[in-house]
Amino acid sequence: MTEFAYQDAEFDIRADIKDAHRAFWDKLAKAGSWWTGEQRIAIAQQSRKALECTFCVSRKNALSPYTFAGNHDFDSTLPDIAVDAVHRIITDQTRITRKYVQDNVAKGLSKEAYVELVGVVVAVFSIDEFHRALGLELEPLPKPQAGDISRYRPARLSDDIGFVPTVPVDGAVGAEEDLWSDGRSANVVRALTLVPDAMRDWRALGAAQYLSFEAMQNFVKDDARAINRMQIELIAGRVSSINQCFY
Amino acid sequence: MLRVSATTTSTDIDLQAINGDADSAALGIEYGAQLMKFAESVATRDVQSLRDSRQRLLETAGPAVLVDAAGVAANFQRMVRIADSIGIPVDDMSSELGRQIRADLSLEEFASAQNTLEPSGA
Repeated sequence: MTEFAYQDAEFDIRADIKDAHRAFWDKLAKAGSWWTGEQRIAIAQQSRKALECTFCVSRKNALSPYTFAGNHDFDSTLPDIAVDAVHRIITDQTRITRKYVQDNVAKGLSKEAYVELVGVVVAVFSIDEFHRALGLELEPLPKPQAGDISRYRPARLSDDIGFVPTVPVDGAVGAEEDLWSDGRSANVVRALTLVPDAMRDWRALGAAQYLSFEAMQNFVKDDARAINRMQIELIAGRVSSINQCFY
Repeated sequence: MLRVSATTTSTDIDLQAINGDADSAALGIEYGAQLMKFAESVATRDVQSLRDSRQRLLETAGPAVLVDAAGVAANFQRMVRIADSIGIPVDDMSSELGRQIRADLSLEEFASAQNTLEPSGA
């Protein structure tokens, strides 16, 4: 059966959205830089389980999420520390701190592995949210593929923003040359670049669901979209506001 | 981005649409109230509200608008999680436009504001 056929949709889904979802599913199943294909699928599974986790609901209501003890409801082949990170990203992301990320390093979750985990979680979550928004059944997760992790780390990194190293604005060179052009970038574009493939996945999915980097320069209307830029940004702004997104 | 787009197209809008005011959302933006409510329903994950707002948007604006709106809403459900999970600060805190928008929408009350306002202690 073809993945993302959207046979239960009562309306046409744009071809570029289907293609982007299929392309990410294919990459999801394969070994990444720091997690195997099996582990990446386990991360994806937890991103779905987090939404049903009663411990997450209780912790979300706690004054501090770092003094609230307990266990997540679901078994996983992942280390507990990774399961917890997935659940926090889905259910309580505004209270993730530098100290939390740093403490996780001491407990065995490297910043590189954390960034790839973030990339997988948010991509799966976003694709799932597209389905939920349209009232469609979620796509079954792909079967993991065998393969070795690459342990790839960009040669040029900076600690000037956020909780993890990122490729600096002038660092899109060599193997990272494709990340952005003209020596210009934004912090959100740099966010996942400790694992460049996570940034590339983010960019590809965003180009279909939102706008490509090039189309973002058009503040009137992209011909490939049924809604104009003001309509797009109204939706983006309202979703971001409810999620208490300062950025 | 909404403000920049409105300025580019010389359109009068009311930014309180971002905070959920339906009348504000309708000002200058076609299907604005329906799009705002749909986005709100996706983000709050209220099943009944989502069902109702989806149907209303479909009937009012048609399937192509609904699909594009779902894509944008789903995309921004992840954007906030990237920003907060990595703790990235706002790129430019010095512009007057940005300062005014943050004040109008009370954005500095958000917990994640500390990633910009107190980045070393976040």
